[in-house]
Amino acid sequence: MAILDVKPTRMELLNLKKRVTSAVRGHKLLKDKQDGLMKTFMEIIREAKTLRREVEEILSKAFKNFMQASSMMPPEMLETALLYPSAKTELEVRTKNVMSVHIPYFKIKLEGNILNYGYLQTSAELDMSLSALQDLLPMLVKLAQIEKQAERLAEELETTRRRVNALEHKLIPDLKETVKFISMKLAETERAGIVSVMRVKAMIEAAEEAIED
Amino acid sequence: MTDKHSIAIIGNRDTILGFKALGVHTFDANTPEEATDLLLKLKSEGGSHAIIFITEDLSEGITKENWKKLSGTALPAIIPVPDSKGSKGSGIRRIGKMVEQAVGSDIFNE
Repeated sequence: MAILDVKPTRMELLNLKKRVTSAVRGHKLLKDKQDGLMKTFMEIIREAKTLRREVEEILSKAFKNFMQASSMMPPEMLETALLYPSAKTELEVRTKNVMSVHIPYFKIKLEGNILNYGYLQTSAELDMSLSALQDLLPMLVKLAQIEKQAERLAEELETTRRRVNALEHKLIPDLKETVKFISMKLAETERAGIVSVMRVKAMIEAAEEAIED
Repeated sequence: MTDKHSIAIIGNRDTILGFKALGVHTFDANTPEEATDLLLKLKSEGGSHAIIFITEDLSEGITKENWKKLSGTALPAIIPVPDSKGSKGSGIRRIGKMVEQAVGSDIFNE
């Protein structure tokens, strides 16, 4: 603990006392924010974990299928088949404010036909693997949403946690210590004042007695 | 607040080709450096892509500083996905890191 570098005056004491109350209030508010964030974060992170496992499994399979399907066709054919997609994927993005953190929500819109090529030169496996990918896309978007939310919340939680700790373990104890230091110093000066007045009074009385005698 | 955005995917050309048919914008990259450049470029373009998927083999090679630069804002969401070789577990590790960042230690780590 360190005593802050201030002059031990009554003025400073009043200021410091005000700072202690506001620091304590700030600490309580931040702690509440941290709790709120943590609650949301835990819900999201649990969901993220299960969803990620699920998606990883399915996506690896889908990629594998697609590779197999594409390896059955000459590369140029594949290229031309997929060159001009008629399908359009659009995302609607909304942001929601959770404890002053803006977290995104995605909504996916798929338009058009994904199988936009001649059937003659392409394999049926390609069709199948593509539609598997299409089914997977909403899940991927959901995963992106959840992970981005988790990322944002984690960041905010870290700074909030740091602030709470700084207040709790550094600023508030320091302020309290300084308040105590100043009030003791002031009491000391007061006592010193009384003692010197008493001494002066005694000296005057002694002098008066000497004159009378 | 709603806006129209699109999805992008960065990865090895053969892997991500399939997403092209779905209307996802595909960008080829073979090294993490290429991927980093692409990501920075896409981000600086003003965020028409709300989600950018990136294959794990590339995302693992992105440096910490670059990653911080890329993920600081609400959009885009840069999400690593496994490639055709299967998951190497970096996605789950990423979630573990987030927990560590938020709580102070990875409390879900079994």
